[in-house]
Amino acid sequence: MFRRKSSQLDNILDDCLERLLVKGESIEECLADYPEQADELKPLLQTAVVTKKALVIEPRPEFRAKAGYQFRTALKEIASKKSRPFFTWQLRWATVASLALILLLAGGGIVAAASNSMPDEPLYQVKLATEQIQLYLTTSPLDKAKLYAKLADRRVTEIINMAQEGNVRLVELTTQRLDNHLAMIASSSTVQREEISLIGEALETPALVVDITEADVKSAEFSQPLNGSKSELEGLLREHSANNTAALYEALETAPEEVKLALMQAIEVSVAGYEQALAAIGE
Amino acid sequence: MQDEQSLVQRAQKRDQEAFAQLYEQHFDKIYRYVALKVGNYAEAEDMTQQVFLKALQSISSYKWRDIPFSAWLFRIAHNQAVDYLRKKTRQATTPLDESITIFDSNNPQKIAEHRLDTEQLILAARQLTPAQQEVISLRFAGELPIAQVAKIMGKSPGAVKALQHSAIVALRKLLLVEKDVQKEK
Repeated sequence: MFRRKSSQLDNILDDCLERLLVKGESIEECLADYPEQADELKPLLQTAVVTKKALVIEPRPEFRAKAGYQFRTALKEIASKKSRPFFTWQLRWATVASLALILLLAGGGIVAAASNSMPDEPLYQVKLATEQIQLYLTTSPLDKAKLYAKLADRRVTEIINMAQEGNVRLVELTTQRLDNHLAMIASSSTVQREEISLIGEALETPALVVDITEADVKSAEFSQPLNGSKSELEGLLREHSANNTAALYEALETAPEEVKLALMQAIEVSVAGYEQALAAIGE
Repeated sequence: MQDEQSLVQRAQKRDQEAFAQLYEQHFDKIYRYVALKVGNYAEAEDMTQQVFLKALQSISSYKWRDIPFSAWLFRIAHNQAVDYLRKKTRQATTPLDESITIFDSNNPQKIAEHRLDTEQLILAARQLTPAQQEVISLRFAGELPIAQVAKIMGKSPGAVKALQHSAIVALRKLLLVEKDVQKEK
């Protein structure tokens, strides 16, 4: 009985707050509609008005201008990274082809060594380049989606590793890569274009003049096709999503304070990315 | 004004103008929300910038059907503020920054009075429970409707209304006590 009355007052108070704070009505107008509760409501509404008035806090004009400028600059940077002109696209293709040739003709065990490298290690760029060539050589959309799922797993492992080391920048950077992989599963129509741009990014480092044999290339699963159905992919994604989310939450408990925010962002990206991918598969 | 959903969709396709509009629409509210939570204008400024940069980085992973855009933005702001406050409790606490209040008036007396009101409110709000504080910050500083506050806090609208009620009752008591203290001075 008491709870019902209290809940009724919660609703009336909320209605009055909307009228007062959003629609600009007066306290008296609102009280007139609720005469039975007027005595109880009046002091609460007065407090709400005082609270609202005290919260007329505005950013300093110089801060507003500075923040606006920095935000527009960041917007432009992101836009210029995403939109690659046709000519640049062709140049990147040529770079990719050259690199693939170098990888295939050279000798050594660098690819195998790079496969376990972390983002703060020199061989990491080789790992990324290897993955991009794997993607290039995988033609079926389903196999490509599975490969992206596998790469997403690797990124999660790397995020956890970088978080343990307290490296905020690399946690954020690897989270962006994770976001890209998961988005690529969701949007198979744009796979081809995105992978080209990623290859280009991976190749922009001199660390790629390495010794690699054909056997190394095979051991890194360059051309092993992945087979299976759409439902298999869905099951695989659900499993990976649960495992990765659990692993990220576990890492959050022991991570240094300075990386926790970045790690929470990674969890958010991971959860949303897998959901998006699963929704896209289901459509 | 274009509706928020279509602006968000354009922003997700890297439409700079759309994102700039979303920024303008939410900038003051996010600043106010963060300022109330951290009570320090320099931190509030840094944090406000960080919120929008994070949003810019993560906009592609945002999905409208899960949570409205403004609620998503406030969730980022909430995470930033929580992280800051967690770090701050381990450091020496800093006094409330007086310049937090920028009141649009040319009357120095009014500005001083308003600053006092704001300071009292921030101090009073700090004595509320975390959930009550969050409701007051989101409802009064963020100007969000109950449904969105409920989404952000992971509670039912009824539970948020009850929290709002108890928070205002507590604030009233705290502000009255504060006024008495001021009078005695």
